[in-house]
Amino acid sequence: MTSPFVLTVVAVVLAGGLLLQKSARRILVGWLPGSRTFRQETNRRRKLTERFAIYVLIACSSVAILTTVGIILSLVFESVRFFALIPVTDFLFGLKWSPQTALRTDQVAATGLFGMIPLFAGTLLITLIAMLIAAPIGLLAAIYMSEYASRAARDIIKPCLEILAGIPTVVYGFFAALTVAPFFRNIGDVNGIVISSESALAAGLVMGIMIIPFVSSLSEDVISAVPQSLREGSYGMGATQSETIKQVILPAALPGIIGALLLATSRAIGETMIDVMAAGLSANLTANPFAAVTTVTVQIVTLLVGDQEFDSAKTLAAFALGLVLFFITLVLNVIALVVVNKYREHYD
Amino acid sequence: MTDLITMPVRASKAGAARLKQRHAAERRFRFYGLFAICFGLSCIGILFFTIISGGYSTFSQTVVTIDINLERDLIDAKNISDGDFRKIVQNSLYGLFPEVTGRRDKRKLANLVSPAAEYQARDYAVANPHHIGKTISIQVPTSDDMDQFSKGVIRADLPESERRVSDLEIVWFNGLKEQGRIETIFNRTFFKSGDSRDPELAGILGAALGSFYTLLVTFLLSFPIGVASAIYLEEFAPKNRLTQLIEININNLAAVPSIVFGLLGLAVFLNFFGLPRSAPLVGGMVLALMTLPTIIIAGRAALKSVPPSIRQAAIGLGASPMQTLTHHTLPLAMPGMMTGTILGMAQALGETAPLLMIGMVAFIVDIPAGITDPATVMPVQIYLWSDSPERAFIERTSGAIMVLLAFLITMNALAVNLRKKFEQKW
Repeated sequence: MTSPFVLTVVAVVLAGGLLLQKSARRILVGWLPGSRTFRQETNRRRKLTERFAIYVLIACSSVAILTTVGIILSLVFESVRFFALIPVTDFLFGLKWSPQTALRTDQVAATGLFGMIPLFAGTLLITLIAMLIAAPIGLLAAIYMSEYASRAARDIIKPCLEILAGIPTVVYGFFAALTVAPFFRNIGDVNGIVISSESALAAGLVMGIMIIPFVSSLSEDVISAVPQSLREGSYGMGATQSETIKQVILPAALPGIIGALLLATSRAIGETMIDVMAAGLSANLTANPFAAVTTVTVQIVTLLVGDQEFDSAKTLAAFALGLVLFFITLVLNVIALVVVNKYREHYD
Repeated sequence: MTDLITMPVRASKAGAARLKQRHAAERRFRFYGLFAICFGLSCIGILFFTIISGGYSTFSQTVVTIDINLERDLIDAKNISDGDFRKIVQNSLYGLFPEVTGRRDKRKLANLVSPAAEYQARDYAVANPHHIGKTISIQVPTSDDMDQFSKGVIRADLPESERRVSDLEIVWFNGLKEQGRIETIFNRTFFKSGDSRDPELAGILGAALGSFYTLLVTFLLSFPIGVASAIYLEEFAPKNRLTQLIEININNLAAVPSIVFGLLGLAVFLNFFGLPRSAPLVGGMVLALMTLPTIIIAGRAALKSVPPSIRQAAIGLGASPMQTLTHHTLPLAMPGMMTGTILGMAQALGETAPLLMIGMVAFIVDIPAGITDPATVMPVQIYLWSDSPERAFIERTSGAIMVLLAFLITMNALAVNLRKKFEQKW
């Protein structure tokens, strides 16, 4: 079972040992009474140790690269195996998701349907609801903290809001599933609207609450970074504080704010536990926030939790979904980083 | 000489109205900001209130004192633990309510107490073999439904068909109460046992230890690697393409969804390397990769805040770059690095999704004894319990969340304190 792992560890140790051997011999030789003075020898040894230490540091930094390579390779490999079973176009553009792999080959609907559009739509619906909550609340909170609140008040409010970011997502999921969802369902019952007990609304709302601090902290940083001279110029022209904010500061901080919103969106798309606990499993292609939808992350979890044979299209589909998720969040993050960096260069 | 110019104050009606409007807009805008902050803060308030009001009762447990007769007929003196203790407990309850005769009612009566009662009776008999044949009184937990009824979660004023406790059971319960047999004690089981199908027997110790082992592995891997990467990138790396690539890569890694790390762990650690499923070892490895960017970014910031003059002084006195680092820069940067590491660990403690991928989601009763034993962690335990149908598990879930949040708050407070204590302005 564990032999490949043991083998790899042994190989790494051996490789390290071989590399070391050369320097180790040099170190040992350095000690031998020879023609060099003691001082020369110490210097030599010191240089060798230093060089060795640098290699160790480089090796450690490469772990981050290896992680990315590992993620990409594992996702791509398994996805390729999946696409050997299910055509890529069926996966990317299919409108039906029901990943039931047959137990017997002669069974009806033997292969299952792997169209990811409904999952993607569900993810977008929940993300949209979350951003509709988090973007205005987070942005207004950021503006208030950086422009209106006193320093003392800000020093209290900011960490308090950041508590929201520190609460584990499973707690939000529990809150969404057991408090918020029944609350909405009851409101729906009273008003004669059918709100599913696993509605996109409940999951989206709670996710929105979760990402408020992502938006507010990042936006606050960029708003505070807008040079004071711009504000003073605007006040000098007779603008009120809110006019200055709306017409001078926000446009100046816009790239940074967009970056913050993109990062928050990527966070919402990749969020798992809230969706697993509060959104449903049924892959409905709908834009109705009161209906149950499912998301990419929920399906990855459902496909992989429990004992499964690893070669079925069902488990491999999870990796294809993971690849899509990784790609989308990567693109969003890169755009956000580029936008934010461009903006920073502008004022520094 | 400059003339003092006095501007005529324009007090036209339209201007005054416009000014009034603008000031109203100003107040409105300010109010929106205040509202946003209040919304955020009240969300925290509601969240904590919901969890605490639903969870504090986890820490108490309703118990009933019953007199059990350790009959010689039912216990083999040579092999005490094989005795029919279920019957002994049942007989004791039947003795309390002799008027109950129907088979159905009798079974209901026997279910007033938790299945733990017979184990407790057995343990007692094994420990005190000389008491066999005598009648003793022991305190056993009530069933989860009776416990919820006693705590007022299951309300008696609902119609019988809408609650999980029947009228008859309420009559029995009140009867026991009148006899002074019902008590509410501190729920020790919750802190000293593993998972169970019976809520009154379920505890968080297994999950807490699983979390501990997982975090241990995470720490042992991510702290040295993270610190070393931060040192290399900040102190030694030449400014070239490769370094830039590593930097971009780390920033991106910090924003990769956690579930993707779970997929990596499943494909690489489980399927390729063949490491055991559900083990804290693998969980810790996955979480280490996940927290690595946090630690590296914090570590670099800490190193950056050490002024270059200290390095220059050390180099000037003849220290080698590595000596400068280990004797001066690193000790000065360590508090900042520790703060980042604690925050990373807190994040890892609350993480659920990647651990679901590597099988730490199984129902595990045994308390893990090492990093390769099957285990689950606190957030996953919360997830599992929140899915259980029993009403009492909802309370247990909130209780477990309270414990988890307590750990997280402690860790964060520690990090903040550390930062405050060692923060140095150069």
